[in-house]
Amino acid sequence: MNILITSLARLLIFPGLVFAVPAAWFFLWVERKAVARMQGRIGPPFMQPFYDFIKLVGKDTPQRTGASGMLMKAWPLIAVSAAAGAVGLLPVLPASGGFQGDLILLLALLEVPSMCIIAAGFSSRSIFGEIGSAREAVLSVSYNVVFLLAIISIAASQHTFRLDTLAQLPASPLRWLGIAAILVCLPAKLHLNPFSLPNAEQEIYSGPMTEYAGPELAMWELSHGLEWVAATGLVATLIAPQLTLWWVAALVFVALSFFIVLLLSVVASATARLQIDTTVRFYWQCTLIFAVLAVASALFMRLRA
Amino acid sequence: MSYKIPMGPYHPALEEPYKLDLICEGETVCDSKLRIGFNFRGIEHLAETRNYIQVVALMERVCGICSNIHTLTLCQAMEGLTGLTPPPRAKYIRVIMAELERLHSHVLWAGIAAKLMGFKTMFMTCFEIREKVMDVLCAISGNRVNYAMNRIGGVNRDISDPQAILKMVEALELEMAHTVIPIFTTSRTAISRCANIGVLTTEKAVSCGVVGPTARAAGLPQDIRRAAPYAAYEEMEFDVPVQPAGDVTARLLVRALEIMESCKILRQALAKLPPGEINTGDDKFPFTTGTATSRVEAPRGEVMYSVSWKEGSRTPSRVHVRTPTFANMPAIRWMVMGARLADTPLIQASIDPCYSCTDR
Repeated sequence: MNILITSLARLLIFPGLVFAVPAAWFFLWVERKAVARMQGRIGPPFMQPFYDFIKLVGKDTPQRTGASGMLMKAWPLIAVSAAAGAVGLLPVLPASGGFQGDLILLLALLEVPSMCIIAAGFSSRSIFGEIGSAREAVLSVSYNVVFLLAIISIAASQHTFRLDTLAQLPASPLRWLGIAAILVCLPAKLHLNPFSLPNAEQEIYSGPMTEYAGPELAMWELSHGLEWVAATGLVATLIAPQLTLWWVAALVFVALSFFIVLLLSVVASATARLQIDTTVRFYWQCTLIFAVLAVASALFMRLRA
Repeated sequence: MSYKIPMGPYHPALEEPYKLDLICEGETVCDSKLRIGFNFRGIEHLAETRNYIQVVALMERVCGICSNIHTLTLCQAMEGLTGLTPPPRAKYIRVIMAELERLHSHVLWAGIAAKLMGFKTMFMTCFEIREKVMDVLCAISGNRVNYAMNRIGGVNRDISDPQAILKMVEALELEMAHTVIPIFTTSRTAISRCANIGVLTTEKAVSCGVVGPTARAAGLPQDIRRAAPYAAYEEMEFDVPVQPAGDVTARLLVRALEIMESCKILRQALAKLPPGEINTGDDKFPFTTGTATSRVEAPRGEVMYSVSWKEGSRTPSRVHVRTPTFANMPAIRWMVMGARLADTPLIQASIDPCYSCTDR
């Protein structure tokens, strides 16, 4: 009973929906505002992502019929629920309860929105959506190797797939290496420059989202915001020091996520968009370097132990 | 399996409506088809219904970026028909306006190119500098876009304080030398987007008959300012930058170097501005029957006007315009062939197309 209540509280309140949705809007705003300031623009007002969401939700869209129409409606909902679930799994609070293997579930849930985007682009039957989806697919097989390798090597070195145990372990070189590798993957995961290929507006409009409008687009925006919270939150929980007071832990989590958003915005505004082959080459080179370092480091730690 | 991707007539990568149909295989472009005419306004016909004062104001509206070049070319052609020669001060002011316009056009193009690489920070930086160039133009002419500077036999407004303008130009030059040019030549992501794409070989450039920076970036040293000097260009010292590579980087470099050359010309012209009248003071013009042509080097290449008149008439019987984009755009097909789809917006923009002028 107790476990059920904590799990529900985590999923629905903190760091789940009640926290995650405003946090998603907040991070979207921070990113837009930071990029705008760096570009010499004023940027949107604080409430803008919320207004955007409300405005999109209030719009009427033409009815889609048939199986592809139903699929097009379903993808954004699946993406939002998966992203919200991923945020709910983050071990932000001390002793918040977790289970063996929740890391694997988190990684799977983090991957669902990007799969939904790929599927959505193809079911929209727009040529721009299809190209965007193809790009997203290529991008995702490239960066995911580094991303998964980083997380799994951290987990393997500590002999655990429990997130909360992982988050409380002392910092080791391998852990910092893993965090660096995850940070390299985040721009691609969040479709930011220099890897903003699937939604390269000057080339393919908004890629898989081209055919979306109204409430469905609002759901995509929300899932994108939740992805921000989940992805930056994952890094924040890995970096955050061990804390016993729950509100200090929550504050540190928010502050760290905020700085990661700022860091990503700086990178995004200082770079041009790369081409797909340069991007793929970059990530596979990263994979190679990281694989060598991670295996060496894991072996070294085993030998020492 | 090949498929067709329509780029345009309305597309985030295009400044103006035109259409590029790309035949692609995967992400590679095999062939393309260019369609123009979405911006046709019938200006050449309208010109035949306007008198010699009105036609200058009308032709200024052919283009929103190089508005001064169009009136300059038209006025030079009409001066050929009336036998008037503008005074030396007017010729210098024409050079100053033309070079400021080149600066503003090249900086604007740099911004658009940056945007097409997805480099929006650079876009904002370029447009900030462009604002300052427009401030200089506004300080001279009182207008930001359609300057209304040229008239038959001279210019409409004088530069009363060349030193103040010189200071503004020097500040601009410093800013461009410190921001736009280094970022475009050293940013690794920017270079990786431009190098070896959209290559136009010298032979292809000759056979397509390209003009302006597109030709100079393909190794053809052609510049009307040097080959057939007009206004006061004979008295200016400047280099014509030529790059042999023919890719987008070469076009970028040619324009970056031209920005510096324009600043050099501006400094000379403002320092040597001769005293005297700024126009001949006539308001009635004795047109002779015949056709006169005039060529000038616009920011995008050679602009040619051919003006026909009948003696005693107040309106021209024909005004024909040939714009640089008309000469450059067939080359796009050869540039995008074999390119990646992601590069096509940048490649088509690298000729700095102006379909407002081309369609008129």
